[in-house]
Amino acid sequence: MTERSATSNYSRRDALRMVAIGGAAGIFAPNLLGKPALARTSPAKPTGRVIVGLGQEPTVFNPLMAHIEVDDGVHFSVFDALFRIDPQGVIQPNLALEVPSQKNGGISEDGLKWRIRLRDDVRWHDGKPFSAEDVKFTLELITNPNFRSWRTSGHSLVRDITVVSPTEISWRMEEAFAPYLSFLTETFIVPKHILEKEANPNNAAFNQAPVGTGAFKWGKRVAGDHLELVANTEYFGEGPHIERLVFKYIPDLTVLYTQFKSGDIDLVGQPYITPDHYGEAKKLPNRVVTLVPRASFESFYLNLERPQFKEHAVREALYAAIDKEAIIQGLYYGVPTPTETFMPRQSFYFNAGLPLHQFNLNRARKILDEAGWAPGAGGIRTKNGVRLSFTNSTTSGDPLREQVQQFLQQTFAQLGVEMKISNLPAAVMWGEFWMQSQFDSVIVGSSYLIGADPDVTNRLHSRSIGAKGGRGSNNAQYANPEVDALLDKGARTFDPEARRAIYSRVQELVRRDLPFLPLYQSNAVEGLKKGINGFVPNGNTRTESWNALAWYWAS
Amino acid sequence: MSGFLLNRLSQSIVLLVIVSIIGFTVLNLMPGGPLAQFGLDPGMTQKDVERLAAQLGLNRPLWLQYLDWASRLIRGDWGHSFRDGSAVLSVIGRHLLATLLLMGTSTVLAIAAGTWIGIRGATHRYSLFDYCATVGAMVALSVPTFWFGLIGIYIFTLKLGWVPAGNMYTIGDGSVLDYLHHLILPSLVLSLVHVAIWSRYMRTATLDALSQDFVKTARAKGVSERRILLKHVVGNALLPMITLAGMQLPSVLTGALVTETVFTWPGMGRLFLDSLGYSDYPMVMGLLIFSAILVVLGNLIADIVIATVDPRIRLG
Amino acid sequence: MTTIVVHAAPTRWWHSRAVARFMRHHLALVGIAMITLLVLACAIGPYALPYDSLQIDLRARFAPPLSGHHYFGTDPLGRDLAARLLEAGRVSLLVGFSAMLLSTLIGTLVGVTAGYRGGWVGAALMRVVDGFLSYPSIFLVLALAAMLRPSPVMITVIIAVTSWMETARIVEAEVRSLREREFVQAARMVGLSRRHIMFREVLPNAMGPIIVAASLAVARAILLEAYISFLGYGIQPPLPSWGNMLNGAQQYLASAPWLAIIPGAAITIAVTSFNFIGDGLRDALDVRNDHI
Repeated sequence: MTERSATSNYSRRDALRMVAIGGAAGIFAPNLLGKPALARTSPAKPTGRVIVGLGQEPTVFNPLMAHIEVDDGVHFSVFDALFRIDPQGVIQPNLALEVPSQKNGGISEDGLKWRIRLRDDVRWHDGKPFSAEDVKFTLELITNPNFRSWRTSGHSLVRDITVVSPTEISWRMEEAFAPYLSFLTETFIVPKHILEKEANPNNAAFNQAPVGTGAFKWGKRVAGDHLELVANTEYFGEGPHIERLVFKYIPDLTVLYTQFKSGDIDLVGQPYITPDHYGEAKKLPNRVVTLVPRASFESFYLNLERPQFKEHAVREALYAAIDKEAIIQGLYYGVPTPTETFMPRQSFYFNAGLPLHQFNLNRARKILDEAGWAPGAGGIRTKNGVRLSFTNSTTSGDPLREQVQQFLQQTFAQLGVEMKISNLPAAVMWGEFWMQSQFDSVIVGSSYLIGADPDVTNRLHSRSIGAKGGRGSNNAQYANPEVDALLDKGARTFDPEARRAIYSRVQELVRRDLPFLPLYQSNAVEGLKKGINGFVPNGNTRTESWNALAWYWAS
Repeated sequence: MSGFLLNRLSQSIVLLVIVSIIGFTVLNLMPGGPLAQFGLDPGMTQKDVERLAAQLGLNRPLWLQYLDWASRLIRGDWGHSFRDGSAVLSVIGRHLLATLLLMGTSTVLAIAAGTWIGIRGATHRYSLFDYCATVGAMVALSVPTFWFGLIGIYIFTLKLGWVPAGNMYTIGDGSVLDYLHHLILPSLVLSLVHVAIWSRYMRTATLDALSQDFVKTARAKGVSERRILLKHVVGNALLPMITLAGMQLPSVLTGALVTETVFTWPGMGRLFLDSLGYSDYPMVMGLLIFSAILVVLGNLIADIVIATVDPRIRLG
Repeated sequence: MTTIVVHAAPTRWWHSRAVARFMRHHLALVGIAMITLLVLACAIGPYALPYDSLQIDLRARFAPPLSGHHYFGTDPLGRDLAARLLEAGRVSLLVGFSAMLLSTLIGTLVGVTAGYRGGWVGAALMRVVDGFLSYPSIFLVLALAAMLRPSPVMITVIIAVTSWMETARIVEAEVRSLREREFVQAARMVGLSRRHIMFREVLPNAMGPIIVAASLAVARAILLEAYISFLGYGIQPPLPSWGNMLNGAQQYLASAPWLAIIPGAAITIAVTSFNFIGDGLRDALDVRNDHI
């Protein structure tokens, strides 16, 4: 009988790091895919139902197809990936027996050959056994040019996938690409025996009734309202402990919160509770409300090809003119945390030594004066015919962001800078306007990390500028050769300590250059009913329901 | 008559084609699109977005996309949503039922209340009741529906806790009582405007009818006032009621839009807003065609009824 | 002695009997009074109030009405609600009125042409009207708002473009019935040009329904602007409008209800007044009431 639990990936150094960062699980090093070793009050047989309220509707149930964050909750429950990432940022094995590395030989020294051993006790929801064939099928489907797949970077570097045995798979990478391990934590495995029969996988019936290996099986869906998953009692891991998991769609954020208050939903999912309700939510009886650091951060994002923003002095002055404290405390009720970088502070690669922001209008004025920006017509500063006037855009219908805009507009006006507000609906905002850098400036909240990997090539490398024909999303059109070289190196380096040095330096350079003015890192106000145990927030995944298999109702 | 109908039919088909062409063009000209939802995904590159656009057929010339869509529509295939692949027609059908439930209830309420108010106002002309009813109707027509809904939620959900905050039913429940519980406030809010219109119409109709000769005859014969009212007034109001209802048909799509937004009711209006927001082209086009068909039908019914009633008006 | 009454052209709309009837319509007079008050308040009020509508003061957020000199309280950014309300009134009333003018203009032109010419020209024009009516107005609004950057001028155009159809249908029906009257036949026999007949003979006699429709159009335009701005696609901040003041008030309903109540009440008062006026005009100009 093979051992049921996979080899834990915790080395002594990892454990120390966890303690240093103050991880929630501390020294107890549980397998966070199951319930913590301490609690014994979970029921033997899955019972009960948990309703998760979501502000957007999950509509894509094939985890390989293009989808948004809110679909992740369903994917994490219905499917498994080769690995998972835990709240401390450590990659854990899931379908694999252990995480490959250059130390254990799973990844060759040159980073090109990968070999992964899989569990042999996994079954699909329809009873068929899981094998390496499914992994091969999944990776090949992603790069199938006719398939509407989600992210392909990393997967497009994979060659010669070989099924060594039903429990072992290997492949070769075109180039050493360290982030791929993190990418695989978000690559869920789909069944070959079901999907290979489909002539067109884009329209397969599977997409409306998925079959996975995960802790929950597909139940039913009432489109536009809710969907229900049921417990997979044959699951190989520890769990699930609830019988039914329901995702309910409530498009209005105020109603979402009201239903949380009234108990119509048990857990608030994306986009969580709005900051203005945090104060009240904290005091609700029978509710547990916590602030969870998320990977996304809010910034005043600039288009560096605009003449107003080309000068570093202007960017520095604008940054000094932002009263972050007032925004965070006054408009956001103290919920988010100020930040100087794109790296989330819970990440191992976070650089804590960056210069701190100071709100100082006089200093801002001085910088502009010294750079030669003198007040011209209407009090707006001008230099060489360029007026310091620009538009700022964000998604319309977002009251908090609009308040920030108007607040900044007033502060900048005191500086002699004219900021005009022009907001757009989301479907317009994030189309070519964003991707082809047609904006002047934008207030945007987004994550730079993929699967918690620090590689930010997509956002900061000069070959990622879409407007110039590049292939990424460096919409600020930021180009710094030193950063480029560091990013190239970081993607090829596997050792975490070495990578840490590289990305610390990247953060330093970005903070100095200020292609965007960092405002704050988002903290999600996550709430659930008292009585739901086993809920662990995870800032390294995009969903709060990443480990629904560990949830259970206290009796 | 048949000549008129044929004429109308051919005109309507031309209308539908033009509506769809213009709608299609406008939709595609709008900046952004269904792929904008991936704009902030750190892992989606420009290359990925272009690939998806090609796979969805979005980078073909517009006329080609239109012909593809139109040829499928004629064969009965309304297309599949870009968001979850479900068939457009079934999604519309489901949301249509939800809207009809809401509008139906509010119309019934409106007719019931409006008839009573209107008749009472007419029979007690210039009384305080009449005056209040008239002013009330005016105000009801002027109140922004969404604001009224907000106030309603504030009072009845937040302060009193009598009704739920939104949606059509509670998960796990779904009994008739549960549906009714969720239905009360939205249908009341929606009926506000219709009560006003209907009460004023009934008032005028009642006044008109009461001054007719046959009423005087009936009174002379000793028929009770009540029977007079019921039989003659309400009976005569039936035909215009149908006309009015027919003219309401096109507004099925957006008549309840505001109410559905405020109460997160899963109806047609909400579907339309959501689909526009996601640039879900097949769904929006399906809704546009549906709406155009309703307009044509509504006009047709109204014109036929009016012509039947008043032969002086030549059709066409 | 028999008196021969010569039926010349029907009475023009400014005939004193209509005005007299209007004067007797109490609600309409109330409406006129309220609108006048509103317009005056919005025009002059902001100068009389102690606070500026744009001044952000984060320490005074969410002040309830009657706190200090903030007669109506403050909004989430600490701006004086009374000042914003009156400034917003300027925008909303102006947009509503201009949109009405524009939509009435377009609608009248189309309606008169379609009603008088009849035949295939008329049918084609009315099918165009139907075509515009086929699009849910919200679609046109959102599509246009996405393509054109929303400014008060653009919003006015958008509202006008989505509202002229009602006027066109009313005018077309009226003109179609007027077309058969004797004075029109007479004008045709005399040889007056078609354009002259349309706009100098027929149109003035159709003014009744047009004016009624116009006053109701202002009401609808104000409501439409409020809804568009409430959704976030209308007047952009920091320029206030009654609609965009309600946008964002929904989430503060429990904690700061006055943010929603006050602008909504303002909209209701304005629209009610226009509806009263429209009602009065309808009674006054209804030729059937000529015996009253």
